[in-house]
Amino acid sequence: MTSTIEPATSRAATTAPSGALRRPDGLIRNLDVAGLVDAEGGLLDRAIFTDEQLYRQELRRVFAPSWLFLAHTHQFQKPGDFFTTYMGEDPVIVTMNKDREIKAFLNSCRHRGARVCRADSGRTKNFTCTYHGWAYDLQGGLVSVPNQDGYPESFRREDWGLVEVPHVETYKGLIFGTWNPESVSLRESLGDMAWYMDAMLDHDDEGTEVIGGVHKWVLDGNWKLAAEQFATDWYHVNMSHASALQVMSPTGKKPKDEIVHRTGRQYVDPNGHGAGFPVHPKNRFDAPTVHEHVDYDALRERLGDARVDGPLTNGHATVFPNFSYLPVNGSIRIWHPKGPNQIEVWAWTIVDRSWPDEVKEAQRRYNLRTFGPSGIFEQDDGENWSECQSIAHGFITNGVALNYQMGIDSEREDGRFPGVTSELYSDAAGRAFYARWRTLMNTPAWHEEDPS
Amino acid sequence: MTHSVLDGTRAGQLADRDIHFEVEQFYYREAELLDDGRYADWLELLADDLDYWMPTRTNRLRRQQALSIAARGEAGFYDETKESLAWRIRRFDSGMAWAEDPPSRTRHLVTNVRVRHASPAVDEGVTESDLVVKSNFLVYRSRLEREENVFAGQRADVLRRLTAPDGVTDGRLQVARREILLDANVLQSKNISTFF
Repeated sequence: MTSTIEPATSRAATTAPSGALRRPDGLIRNLDVAGLVDAEGGLLDRAIFTDEQLYRQELRRVFAPSWLFLAHTHQFQKPGDFFTTYMGEDPVIVTMNKDREIKAFLNSCRHRGARVCRADSGRTKNFTCTYHGWAYDLQGGLVSVPNQDGYPESFRREDWGLVEVPHVETYKGLIFGTWNPESVSLRESLGDMAWYMDAMLDHDDEGTEVIGGVHKWVLDGNWKLAAEQFATDWYHVNMSHASALQVMSPTGKKPKDEIVHRTGRQYVDPNGHGAGFPVHPKNRFDAPTVHEHVDYDALRERLGDARVDGPLTNGHATVFPNFSYLPVNGSIRIWHPKGPNQIEVWAWTIVDRSWPDEVKEAQRRYNLRTFGPSGIFEQDDGENWSECQSIAHGFITNGVALNYQMGIDSEREDGRFPGVTSELYSDAAGRAFYARWRTLMNTPAWHEEDPS
Repeated sequence: MTHSVLDGTRAGQLADRDIHFEVEQFYYREAELLDDGRYADWLELLADDLDYWMPTRTNRLRRQQALSIAARGEAGFYDETKESLAWRIRRFDSGMAWAEDPPSRTRHLVTNVRVRHASPAVDEGVTESDLVVKSNFLVYRSRLEREENVFAGQRADVLRRLTAPDGVTDGRLQVARREILLDANVLQSKNISTFF
């Protein structure tokens, strides 16, 4: 295994002025991860789930340059509506300004660095730091500095606004942001994944909305365990969720054979996204009230048979790196990394805006009882991820390679589903996820370019 | 004890010592059943038309505190009927509910019990023989080797007296409504696999 230490960061990651500050070589060290991911052979070194230094490198090279999910547009109705979240481990405020534009700012006062907003969401005219009272408006501008006379002539408030996320874009109601000033557009980064996302987001012209609130909970596991599973792992369903499938089956005795043995496809994206779904003409929404309401003919007309038979009514998906969703439940979630060993899960339920209230309510209850921290499916996912993580620090354990070889060489263009797809039961999207991770981890980000 | 005759003047009043004792013993029995994993027996303490709700809590600016508890129809950890609780409980008997296999060890502590006679004029959907009860809980969970969780919060219950077929109140209590407020924002647990 080769492991080299690369040169240090050489330029500020944001446009905020930093005067004469220069980070010394050696403060930040990058490791060559080529020997930790064998995406072609389907092998992974468990150090990628446990190593603190690799984790710090992920924050710099995987999270900072990527498009990260922030919120749903429905959370912002009026100027001043805000929602606080994280990009990697960086706290951000997402808000609607007076021009009704969605902006995102680093939630950290430019003076001593405290958060300027400590509410989860709400509506406000400005964000005032509780430490010394620096106050910022909805554009992020510094509008008030108590005792400003004490600062030198050279102090200009316009230099000390909140650090703005340079790019915030939406895709059919989903808001993403990236710190990378040179990033490709969100739409370009999604590529063919957008076709699969539309199966959840584009049932009609009215689009989707969020049902009030966010489920938030923590679990001991590396963020990639969850992101990877939603990208590539239908395989776990029959075993991990055996009890849930059993109680949901009509007989209550065992899962229906047609569920266990159903075939399908798995989308494998070159940018690390992934989506898997059974394919069947009778695939349908699981909540009976939703199933009875939706007009499958209209959906076939709008989105085509392939999408209705496949990703519209079942399956799993991840938008690289850490946004995942379940189309049939309208469960969307972000896996916030909290160190290499912990995830904070934030999950929303989205529904079609056009659905009657009782259909929305049926979907909400169905989602609450199946997914989310008390859901009969999701309880067992959390158990498995924390299990994988809890023993991964053993020296011998950590060095035993993990197997990602299912469906190797099965990737192809099948003419029905866009892009490259594999079988329903496959690790193909997982291999692509880790190949993308490896590429980003070994590529200097914009903030590492020589400023000269 | 005589519970069958309630004059209207007791509506909204703090219940007497005997009733407080009775309700506390009811809760201790309930806690015992949950800690012993006797979920089917626990279900018998719940009314058939049970409303069991546990909303999420959010951090809000002080002037927007009214929004800090998710409303009905918004995000919740539980929003259950007796039937859906039975559905969740059947899962544990499958032998494949991995989040509880091997089972966790839990300890349900119930304190600060405050019992009032229901006031139909004030509380929606209650009768004068119902009891409106607030209590605090601390639930400890130990799981596998070292995992520990503490869930703290408040319950607001409507307890109902069972009526025998002959119309004479038979005295036993059931939970008809339970609103559970967990004192956590981000749930410090990988799941909620127990009940409160």
